Amino acid sequence: MESIDSSIDIETRRMELRGVVRLAGEVIAQYWPMRTFVHHNPLHSLEYLPFEEAVRRGKQFLGGNGYLPSHLYRSYLRSGRIQPRHLDAALTPLVRDKHLTLGSRTVHHSEVIRACLAEGLCMPIEEPLDAQVDHDPHHQLIKSLAGRLVPVLTFPGLHEKIQSIAREDQAALGRWITLSHWCDETLGTQIVGQINSELIKWCEAFLDEGHATWPMPGREKGLYGAWKDLAAQEWSPCGIVDSRRKISRLPEYPEDALLESLDALAIPTELRQDYLSLQLTALPGWAGYIKWRAEEREDAWQRAYPVGLVKFLAIRLWYVRELVQKACHEELGIDGQYQAITAYMQRHTSEYFLRRERVAGRLPAAYAEEVDRLRHQKVNGWEGLIDRYRTDVVPRQDRVAWQGTAKRLRGLALALKIDPAALLDSSPTDLKQLVDWMEAFPESDHGPVWLKAFETGYQDQLLGKLVRARGTSATPALSDNQAFARPHSQSVFCIDVRSEPFRRHLESIGANETYGFAGFFAVFIRYRAWGKEHDTEQFPVIMRAKNEVREIPRSYLAHVVSKHQSRTKMVHAGHTLLHDLKENVVTPYVMVESLGWFYGLPIIGKTLLPSLYHRWTALLRRIFLPPIATTLTVDKLAPAEALEMLAAEQQTTVRKALQERTGLRSSRITPELVEGLRHWALSGEGEADPALMKAATTARLSTEALSTVVDALRQCYEINQRSASRQKERITRTGFTLEEQILTVDTALRMMGLTKHFARLVLFCAHGSTSENNPFESALDCGACGGQEGKPNARVLAMMANNLKVRERLAKNGLEIPSDTHFLGGQVDTTTDDVQLFDLEDAPPTHRADITRLLEDLKEAARLTSQERCTRLPDIATTLPAHKAASHVRQRSVEWSQVRPEWGLSGNTAFIVGRRDLTKALDLEGRVFLHSYDFREDSSNRLLEVLLTAPQVVAQWINMEHYFSAVDNEVYGGGSKIYHNVVGRIGIMSGPWSDLRLGLAWQTVMNGDVPYHEPMRLLTIVEAPLEQLEKLIARHEMLQHFYHNEWVHLVALEPEEGVLYRYRPTGEWARIDEQAGSG
Amino acid sequence: MTVAMTIPWLLAAVPIMGAMLGFVVWPQPDKLKIWSVMVTVLSLLAVIGTSGQLTVPAEGLLFLYLLPLAACVSLLGQPVHLDHRLAWVMTLLFLGLGLGVLTSQLVVSQIVLVVLFGLVTFLLYWHHNPFWPKSWWGIGTFGLGMLCAVIAAIAGPPISSIASLLACAILLPLVPFHHGYVPALTRLPGSLPSFIVLLLPAIGLHGLVAVLPTVPDVAVSTITILALVGALYGSIKALAQSRVRLLFAYGSLSFFSILWWFVAEYPPVISQATIFLSAVALATSGLLLAWQVVRTRYGDDVDPRAISGLASTMPQFAVLLSLLALAAMGLPPFGVFAGFMGMLLTSSLTFSAALLVMGIVWLAASWYILDMVQRLLFGRQRSDLRYEALRPSELASLLMVILIVIALGVAPASLFGIENQPPRDGAAMESVSWNR
Repeated sequence: MESIDSSIDIETRRMELRGVVRLAGEVIAQYWPMRTFVHHNPLHSLEYLPFEEAVRRGKQFLGGNGYLPSHLYRSYLRSGRIQPRHLDAALTPLVRDKHLTLGSRTVHHSEVIRACLAEGLCMPIEEPLDAQVDHDPHHQLIKSLAGRLVPVLTFPGLHEKIQSIAREDQAALGRWITLSHWCDETLGTQIVGQINSELIKWCEAFLDEGHATWPMPGREKGLYGAWKDLAAQEWSPCGIVDSRRKISRLPEYPEDALLESLDALAIPTELRQDYLSLQLTALPGWAGYIKWRAEEREDAWQRAYPVGLVKFLAIRLWYVRELVQKACHEELGIDGQYQAITAYMQRHTSEYFLRRERVAGRLPAAYAEEVDRLRHQKVNGWEGLIDRYRTDVVPRQDRVAWQGTAKRLRGLALALKIDPAALLDSSPTDLKQLVDWMEAFPESDHGPVWLKAFETGYQDQLLGKLVRARGTSATPALSDNQAFARPHSQSVFCIDVRSEPFRRHLESIGANETYGFAGFFAVFIRYRAWGKEHDTEQFPVIMRAKNEVREIPRSYLAHVVSKHQSRTKMVHAGHTLLHDLKENVVTPYVMVESLGWFYGLPIIGKTLLPSLYHRWTALLRRIFLPPIATTLTVDKLAPAEALEMLAAEQQTTVRKALQERTGLRSSRITPELVEGLRHWALSGEGEADPALMKAATTARLSTEALSTVVDALRQCYEINQRSASRQKERITRTGFTLEEQILTVDTALRMMGLTKHFARLVLFCAHGSTSENNPFESALDCGACGGQEGKPNARVLAMMANNLKVRERLAKNGLEIPSDTHFLGGQVDTTTDDVQLFDLEDAPPTHRADITRLLEDLKEAARLTSQERCTRLPDIATTLPAHKAASHVRQRSVEWSQVRPEWGLSGNTAFIVGRRDLTKALDLEGRVFLHSYDFREDSSNRLLEVLLTAPQVVAQWINMEHYFSAVDNEVYGGGSKIYHNVVGRIGIMSGPWSDLRLGLAWQTVMNGDVPYHEPMRLLTIVEAPLEQLEKLIARHEMLQHFYHNEWVHLVALEPEEGVLYRYRPTGEWARIDEQAGSG
Repeated sequence: MTVAMTIPWLLAAVPIMGAMLGFVVWPQPDKLKIWSVMVTVLSLLAVIGTSGQLTVPAEGLLFLYLLPLAACVSLLGQPVHLDHRLAWVMTLLFLGLGLGVLTSQLVVSQIVLVVLFGLVTFLLYWHHNPFWPKSWWGIGTFGLGMLCAVIAAIAGPPISSIASLLACAILLPLVPFHHGYVPALTRLPGSLPSFIVLLLPAIGLHGLVAVLPTVPDVAVSTITILALVGALYGSIKALAQSRVRLLFAYGSLSFFSILWWFVAEYPPVISQATIFLSAVALATSGLLLAWQVVRTRYGDDVDPRAISGLASTMPQFAVLLSLLALAAMGLPPFGVFAGFMGMLLTSSLTFSAALLVMGIVWLAASWYILDMVQRLLFGRQRSDLRYEALRPSELASLLMVILIVIALGVAPASLFGIENQPPRDGAAMESVSWNR
């Protein structure tokens, strides 16, 4: 009975711990592998908190800044990018109704805090104790002013200061800093670095997805198991004595090991969640990737090599406990436990203070040396040293502090246009009051104020444009009675900000209409391209796919398919051979000597003549491996066809197994033998049928050999009922039923507001990109397609929409598509602006002229877009002619040293949901996500609900990814591309050894030292009735988080009144004055 | 009194008189600094002007040219501050004494050396800090040096030889007599460390050239062992330092130990040793001046751990510091490399334990110097620190050091009056027959 209770107790503790770890993991964002780079908010898990609070948490746990450095905001103020009136408005909530008199001038509180912002007067400056140069030529005034401050500006005594520090640090231990971090800051150890280094080593090896030549053994046991086996063979990692015995004695379950470590460190129960959060945020990249993997249970790598945060923490905490214990014991003679450390801080405050200051480099050199001596000799001279410090250093520090304050007061006087000398005539009390006002508004509080002023400036400008455009254009038509001129074409582009310039130019060229829609075009598919072995998930990562689509050669090309396949195999074999030769232990020595020279050609070509080299290699590829026309398996297979396909796949596997297991030549493998084996393997136990035995005899296979092959087929090649059922299910997922196709087309067209007035040609234009040597390539592709190109989605939707049966049923649903309307799938390359159209052979001959015209218009639009984009590229000083611009962007796309093939989504600021009429005449500078939506087609509010809960989320993630990557690229971003190295085919490290880098690279968001992407929160502008929006906000907690917690700003264009309203965090609407929006 | 005999007095008198006259502008530190720099230039001119009439020592005239230059750059690199006035005047005084020791003969030279030892001892005592008890070791060592110089002046061989050798081991630091050199570099104020890092070793080598042929074989063998031990010891100590000046002191000690080994083992390498010593001392002097740039801005007591990210905020400084680091590590085309290669090629050194030790010293220097430079220049840029670009005088000072060290590496040795010469005549020569 007792053992049952104990077992229940252990299980309960494990469950509790898993819950705590799950909550602790909230502070880190999931990290998607780089093959499907997903823009996401690094603080996504904290969106239930107000933005400012979440930023504070980010600072606490990750050490990341949530706002740009103040000096950048100040430069924006000087350049006029931030308007003084916006700054004043942002400051208003902080202003107190107080003032004082300096000389003849009345100084208000508002003026002081404004000067603090605008002049950086509250910037913390560490004044050096004994600087030998006078930084300030006005040192006499400063000295006098400092003298006047002496009686009123007092500092706490050293004893109080030390006590206060010890108290604060005790409170912070476990909440804000880990025990290992404490050791590093107090004892000068490098425990955090050591542990990070160990964890990087293990994570890099364990999470590798085929990058490593020699994979880590034992990965099937999971991260903890594999580590336990291997680390127990290591000799004293990080100097941990007797590590082999200690590791081998660790519990079997990671939960138990983690609990054991937490108990050993004596972390109080109430602190455990925060403590584990801190441990995770020490390596947010690796931990974030593990978090993602743990949640992707269907991921093949996760199924094969399971990993989770509990396992990660179990390993990490073991190192922590060992190293903290070692450091505390050796340095302080205490246990490495929470209570022992807090007791030490409480009892040895002077020693603690001196050690801490020494490690931080804040002690004068002579004192630092004395601290070192006391540490090494372990003698008790701490009190004597602190007494000396009190009499020697503290007065110097006070003097420096008074002078520093005097400097700030002088700066304030200058900012307020007061003669600084007047300060000497002011009463010390007034001076003290000024100092208090300044200190009550420290630099760390400036970020939110700057951000609001910054955002208001842009928002005023954008809303002003919308207001003006509405004033000049016709009043929105609420009825259908207007005369309709049929456009030449209608093109549907992704909502991506890069589509905006292209759409604008395409519209300007001719009678072309454009629409914006999420780039996966409401087609949720898992897709396998022709000749590829892996599927791609062509939908936003927050969704799931139900259907699969495969690219297959067109039926009339059957005669060239085998030739194409054999050549593909040859190319593949060549690549594999080269790879194996390069990765082998011995062959590289010979390889370099013999084949190394041949690599010179591509190196020279790619470096000196990238465009030419690219053209030649493409030509060679086309000659050797000519592309073949393909189509997609859009229609679902009939059950009989599915079974046939399954049988064909299984037969291929059986053939392979026979060759591998028995060495039988293919000529001797008869269809009877294959089929017989397949049936036997599928039928479970039993005897082989006589036909099989006969075939086996012909092939000279013994009964024993047959049995062995069948066992292998069942166990290793997954030819069994269970797998067959799974494969069948997969095959039946291929394609869409008619009902599904109707629903997909209906939803897509209605959501984009394209329900009438169809042109003869409708283009669904997805987007992709081209770049060389760019691990972030998928970040330039379509976020709505899971970081893939959207080509398959566009093709699928076009094929569905061209299906006559679908059209018939749509017509019955009230969505009538004219018979002469043909849908096309296409893709724009956002790096080169080239547009490619697909499945043109399916287009009716009657549309040839329309297609030719569309192609010409697209080409011209591409040229104009390239020209416009080139003006934003940092290395182009002048406006290039259109043809040169086109050539330039192509060159960028093939340069392997190009760190910035395009700006991508940088610059994004707003998401407009409404009719194109609202924005048609406007140059939105490629900064706005545009989603077409016609509220008149959405009486039920269903479509708007989808738009706000799906595309808006994608836009917000993209926006926040860029925001945080720009404000603190080192913590939330990916750092400079120059140092990037791909690791494990999953992500990027800086240099040879680092955390997985989160976010976007420096070159993606920054132009030199200033942000190209101006970090602002997303502004969503929706053309819809207010009450409809209110209902949706009330229904969705996520929307409440967005708007009430100020992650997203919402503005509604009330269609009836034609007036803009801003949604306040309090849930109220505030009418936007038209003048205000005239920006 | 012949002209040749008066020249040493003249060379010594220019800076000493300059130091005396400096008291006239004592209340005005900016003028005092300018004056001091002018005096060093005058000294250099005096050396150049009289070089044709000087008795050329075995190590050539290089030290005579370099001492005024080193004093000049040391003074230029200092900020104008009241606290530095004494150091400036003392620099001139030391320059005078140094030129006196290098140019005068025998007894006079020993007397001047005694004065020099005495002054350093006094300064170490004056700047003694209770937190740094090792200053007493320095005071004691220089006291011993003074005694040795006196004995060398009054006693006959072989006592005078041994005493001279000990004095040389204190000046050109050799373990275990380095306890004077290290505190002198780390405890003396202002411009003095960056000057005496050349002055003391230069005088040491000058004396060594004269005395080495007279010392017994057993002493030479002991020197070679001590030199190798010292090279390793200096490197290990430098690796363990968190204080910048201590790092430079121990780093240069390890390089000087290599020089000791070569000079003891292969006396003909003296010309190359002169270049090597000059380059090591000047590179160290430059590094000390670079560190002074940091101290000028963040206080004498600044902890190097507190400073980082200077590369982006002080790019000129970053470039110059990096070049100095490369020079100090012994990379071409700087003088340290040229001097070392010269010694290596002149000697018939084959693979041996000594070569291994030298390799270790080289690798260790690459480690600790680069580590220090990396910490200062890179890392987090602190927003709470005021950064200030190099001032013209600081820039000129660092630039001059780099140019001189490059010149030592690429210019022909004859340009500095260095040629392979037999040891000069002198009293010590009398015991040659006794020696070997």
